[in-house]
Amino acid sequence: MNATVATTLRARLDALPSQSLLGTQEYFVNMGPQHPSTHGVLRLVLKLDGETVHQVIPVLGYIHRGIEKICEHSNYRQLVHLTDRMDYLSALANNWAATMVVEKAAAMETNSRIEAIRTLVTELQRIHSHQLWWGVFGMDLGAFTPFFYGFRDREILTDVFERTIGGRLTMNYIQPGGVMHDIHPELVADVKAFLAVFKPRLDEYEALLSENVIVQERLRGVGVLTAQDAVALGATGPVLRASGVAHDLRKAEPYGLYGQVAFDVPVGSRGDCWDRYAVRMQEMRQSIRIVEQLLDNIPEGKHFLVKPAAKIKVKPGVWYSHLETARGVLGAMLVSTGGEAPYRVHFRTPNFNNLWAVTTTATGGRVADLVAILSSLDLVIPDIDR
Amino acid sequence: MATSLLPVSGQALDAQSLVAKIQKLCPAAQLRPDCDRPAVKVPLAHWPVLAQQLFASADLLFDLLETHTAIDWVQTGQIELVYVLTSLQCGHHLTVFVDVARDNPVAPSLCAVWPIAQWQEREVFDLFGVHYTDHPDLRRLFLDDDWQGFPLRKDYADDFMLERPS
Amino acid sequence: MGLVTDNLPGALLPLPGGGALLTAIDQVVNWSRANSLWPLTFGTSCCAIEVMMATGAARHDLARFGAEVARPSPRQADLLIIAGTIVKKMAPRLRTLWEQMAEPRYVIATGSCAISGGPFLYHSYTTIRGADEVIPVDVYVPGCPPRPEALLYGLLTLQKMIREGTTLARPGEVRKPVLAALPDGMTLHQVRAEIAELVQETATVDRAAAATVGASYASASRV
Ligand code: SF4
Repeated sequence: MNATVATTLRARLDALPSQSLLGTQEYFVNMGPQHPSTHGVLRLVLKLDGETVHQVIPVLGYIHRGIEKICEHSNYRQLVHLTDRMDYLSALANNWAATMVVEKAAAMETNSRIEAIRTLVTELQRIHSHQLWWGVFGMDLGAFTPFFYGFRDREILTDVFERTIGGRLTMNYIQPGGVMHDIHPELVADVKAFLAVFKPRLDEYEALLSENVIVQERLRGVGVLTAQDAVALGATGPVLRASGVAHDLRKAEPYGLYGQVAFDVPVGSRGDCWDRYAVRMQEMRQSIRIVEQLLDNIPEGKHFLVKPAAKIKVKPGVWYSHLETARGVLGAMLVSTGGEAPYRVHFRTPNFNNLWAVTTTATGGRVADLVAILSSLDLVIPDIDR
Repeated sequence: MATSLLPVSGQALDAQSLVAKIQKLCPAAQLRPDCDRPAVKVPLAHWPVLAQQLFASADLLFDLLETHTAIDWVQTGQIELVYVLTSLQCGHHLTVFVDVARDNPVAPSLCAVWPIAQWQEREVFDLFGVHYTDHPDLRRLFLDDDWQGFPLRKDYADDFMLERPS
Repeated sequence: MGLVTDNLPGALLPLPGGGALLTAIDQVVNWSRANSLWPLTFGTSCCAIEVMMATGAARHDLARFGAEVARPSPRQADLLIIAGTIVKKMAPRLRTLWEQMAEPRYVIATGSCAISGGPFLYHSYTTIRGADEVIPVDVYVPGCPPRPEALLYGLLTLQKMIREGTTLARPGEVRKPVLAALPDGMTLHQVRAEIAELVQETATVDRAAAATVGASYASASRV
């Protein structure tokens, strides 16, 4: 189908009288909790009129595991591994968020090697996460090839992680006081080999999906989220940036080594599905840039500054710190009354806050567009429910 | 607004002047010293007005309600509501604490100021049992509607939960 | 369990050689079933990435074992791979899904969550301690998450069970390989002491060594 045919088709569809003029009835349809396009157990109650979406009501809790309660009964080391299981596609960034707040609260030191390793692996995982998103995004739009391509390249990176970290998905690597293991001697060579393979493949991704007329037609102008709405609805990460707000904690409040590397923050202008797609594609290239700058400059030093078994004690108070995962701002709040266990832990998760964009962006659109919108928000459901 | 809404387009205030500014708007607000970031404690009665001012004042511009949650201080009989605010336009942060009574926790809803509050408040209602007045749709968010009790309260207990053996 | 033996009772059996014929037919039917499993795409959390997505993708290639036709609708599927935590709100939905599936249906529970509640066993007010509290589970694949290879091994095990006709069918049937939660009123110390006792009773070779092992079980205060 060429562009003009697609455009005229869409114009003709849009020119049809709205369903309510034809005297049809509104009805409710349940999407989920078992639905292939909600990527997990999200349930959306849709108020439809024919193909037109009148209202989207998300229903949550199908994977609410009570992580915050479990944290209250864990010590400051044990709570890190639970964060793996919230947004498992950004497991390392999640570990880091918990680690950051514990280190701040307990006044623990790190060295530049630890910070370099943390920045490097987290940035690699941003690519890892976007690879999966790209594959699944293609699948949701009806193309199966991206899924295989995305996973093919993701597996190379998974192997890189496995060599150093030992895990493929749930990492539990970044710990208060350092990182669990020192990097594998082959890590730098492995990552270079990966980049050599992946950089041309990223162009292939663009050729396959980005330059595809059908994909463009399905994304451009669909699910527009204005900058005002994005901020009001608490959206962060690529979703916020696609709406034109250049807010990225890696720039705004640099942590790790982000203050020392050069990278750009890709920003969209219209806030439609296409912009969200394009922002993530650009982010992969920026992450590659960061990784390349770090690779040959990992300082020498220890990878762990405290004894792994050492007890961590925190004086009474409230601490909050946040960082940028692949999906947005992840905040961790720690309330202590002294001792070895937190009094209360709260995670501000990016997906919980990004989800609600669907309530405005999908309204008035068509059901098929809803799937594209959901996919462009890149939601991880256990991160919503915790 | 599109691309004009950039972070740090306003002036980021340091902790001291931020707190001073807020105390000028609301003299009853007190600095909460045991926090790592600028934090104030605000009496419940003053909070809705102050919230609106925090959002709208030209040099504060707290446009993002980053998160809202609660802490159950079972010993003092208070539930402390926590609002973590960020100004994307200015680049500063503020945490606001508001006490409500544990046996009758009622607070004003802030949906009108920050729309995301609607769902964050539903979460707090679900897990802590805080009632928000003027909330458009106050229902449980995560748990089933017939759930008994509020699990993140410190004295929550049911027959189902297991203690970790020590 | 098998199609022919269940549905045609008495027709073939009285004939000379009928029993052998029935067994032969059942073997063929079960062999075909084992090699064309249609899994339901069911993932609630982290495990789904590893066992549904990575295993289905090109590198691990579930298709090699005839189980790649993942169906989003339970009515078209006969294999339920539980990938992820099951919480109280999801449990009735899981049961509904299982009941809607085509019979005979098989269940693989992957990951510690689906086996026992995993990392969310203690102090969670919602996590179900093992999917077999809700539906019968044939094969347990441990891991958090299990590697794709582990799921493949679990699938091969299931195929073997189907060929042998030893899968479970009814809810309430449990073949639990792990201690999911402590029995009511029992502490971990008591469980360890009991294990120590068993070790002492059954050790026939070196009682002294076994006693040391038992003592260390009993004295250890943390896992
Ligand atoms: S077993 Fe581990 S990886 Fe699997 S769902 Fe549970 S927490 Fe996630």
